[in-house]
Amino acid sequence: MAKRRMTNLIDVSLMTCVIQKGMADTINKALLELGVQGATVHMGVGTGVRERMGLLGVAVDVEREIISFMVPSDQVDRIFERVFIVGRLDTPGMGYVYVTPLLQAATYIPPNLTERA
Amino acid sequence: MAKNVRFGEYLQVVSVDTASITYSNVLPQPIFDAQGREVPQKVTKLIMSGSDIVNLLQPYLSTRFMEQVTAVVPLAVFLAVFQWLVLQKPVAEAALIGTGLLAVMIGLMIFMEGLKLGLMPFGDIIGSNLPRKLPLPGVLAIAGLLGIGVTYAEPAIGTLQVAGSIVDPQKAPYLYTMLNDRVTWTVLVVGIGVGVAAILGTVRFLYDWSLKPLIYLSLAPVILLTAYCALDPLLATVVGLAWDCGAVTTGPVTVPLVLALGIGVANSGGKGNSALSGFGIVTLASVFPILAVLALAVFWRFTVPVDVISAEFAAKSAAAAATTAKAWYEVPPGSDVKMGVQAIVPLVLFLMVVLFGILREKLPNAFIIVWGLFLCVLGMCTFNVGLTAGLAALGSQTGSLIPGAFVGIEAMPNAPLYPYAVGTFLAAAFAWALGYAATMAEPALNALGLTVQNLTNGAFKKSMLMYAVAIGVATGIMLGVCKLIFNFNLLYILVPGYILAFILTAMSTEEFVNVGWDSAGVTTGPVTVPLVLAMGLGFGKAVGALEGFGILAAASIAPICAVLMLGIYVQWKTKKELAGNLA
Repeated sequence: MAKRRMTNLIDVSLMTCVIQKGMADTINKALLELGVQGATVHMGVGTGVRERMGLLGVAVDVEREIISFMVPSDQVDRIFERVFIVGRLDTPGMGYVYVTPLLQAATYIPPNLTERA
Repeated sequence: MAKNVRFGEYLQVVSVDTASITYSNVLPQPIFDAQGREVPQKVTKLIMSGSDIVNLLQPYLSTRFMEQVTAVVPLAVFLAVFQWLVLQKPVAEAALIGTGLLAVMIGLMIFMEGLKLGLMPFGDIIGSNLPRKLPLPGVLAIAGLLGIGVTYAEPAIGTLQVAGSIVDPQKAPYLYTMLNDRVTWTVLVVGIGVGVAAILGTVRFLYDWSLKPLIYLSLAPVILLTAYCALDPLLATVVGLAWDCGAVTTGPVTVPLVLALGIGVANSGGKGNSALSGFGIVTLASVFPILAVLALAVFWRFTVPVDVISAEFAAKSAAAAATTAKAWYEVPPGSDVKMGVQAIVPLVLFLMVVLFGILREKLPNAFIIVWGLFLCVLGMCTFNVGLTAGLAALGSQTGSLIPGAFVGIEAMPNAPLYPYAVGTFLAAAFAWALGYAATMAEPALNALGLTVQNLTNGAFKKSMLMYAVAIGVATGIMLGVCKLIFNFNLLYILVPGYILAFILTAMSTEEFVNVGWDSAGVTTGPVTVPLVLAMGLGFGKAVGALEGFGILAAASIAPICAVLMLGIYVQWKTKKELAGNLA
């Protein structure tokens, strides 16, 4: 029996963007243009809008989409910036994005790509 | 001197002004009292600059406004272009009508947001808590009362009053009185009809009844009463109104509020898991008002003689002539504002009594809810102003000019514009296209389509349902207009239509029966109803028909048949494919 192969990906970071419901598609489209694939979207509910924004808070949907995806560590700045701009995160109540370092990751990698590396 | 710069660094400098600060500098520092214990932090309000507020509100407002624009503008443009090109008459008072339409869009936008922020939380809290605090009869009583309350708050209900001002008391005395002097009673019985439907719908959720027998049992008396009224020359004019009332009631306030309560009850009884929860109430809510209005008409027929109505009309016109100055709330836009307040405030008071008096619950985010209720009233008033000046005016204008395509009418000196056959064909084609466009623009239909697609695991595609309903409504409106052109009895559309629907219902499965019968109510929203109603009335007046009601009634039955037929076809196809796979 042939040995199963596993390739560890290193120098990888996890980027997570918490954003108003309905915006995950916009982010995902921008990510695909940057070459980042396989983003995962969760749904969630945020707080703070009602408490801190008063009446203007009605303009903010407390339901959130949490979109997370892995990026190469050396490209974090480029992608981080793009997500910030596309998601309009400089608007109050819109959401936020953060990066966490990952030690390693593994998934299916097309053979032609492993050979190239 | 040449210097190497990384492209990423270059981009970063030109596109974003980046800076880093420590998070601890952003958060408030912990505060300690004299004993060294930490003092709870006060939540400070966020201070936003002008551009922040613009950034925040711009997408919020534009998406909500665009929703209404897509529902109103294509229809209005279609009417105006048709009138201009085919009838060769530009829209009169275009500026006033345009302003009115703008008011309709803004009013609906504000109203819908108010509904979401103000009324829906009430519905949700009451729906989930009431069944636990009250025994079933109490819950049902409140469901019934809620049915009455929501009828008053339905935006399209104001159309009835607008329509009433066109009716001639000499030719159709009972129709006139039911829309003018006794309109309060008419709206009340419509409300009672919705209330009974809410009770039955809730019981149906709880005991998981099939919709089929309910349809047979509730429609049989309706058809009998319709036949009785249609044969009485004095009552014949009321039939169209009664059937149209069914379409008016199932709008954006009634459906979600009554559903919230019904689903809450069903969940508390442990029966809320069926995929079909929520269907059927719309059907019942459009059938019972028909019955109620017909019964009321028969009641007036036997209690109020025609002379009394004529005398009332004479007295009213005399009084109108005598008093020159009317109070501000009797002339538009004051009267529209009064109507708006009257529509929302009783419903809110009722909901508050239930919430504070019976449930003893507190409202979360009371401030936002109060703001939502304020928006509801404001939106309703704005919508009412626009309804009279915009939607109804445009609809009745186009409607009154269409007959000019095939017969001579007063408003058009060069009428008829076309030979009779071509003219009637144009009028029918116009009605068809109007129905198709109005239905495709209805946002509720999109939602229904998605539900059905999920329900049937994709066998019944969303687009298929939308086309079926739109073609059904279009054909129905065309039939309704034909009724006005050739002046035949509405019974000739309703009776064969409902017999066909009965047969199809017996052949269909429970899912498609629910979806099919509900699709009719869903398609008649607050934009379509006034426009089609006003068009029919203007049209009827121009061709000299007694009344122009009945178009919406025809527009309700046709999509039911269309969806049921499509459902049977889809089932047959699925079965055939399955058999093919096995063989």
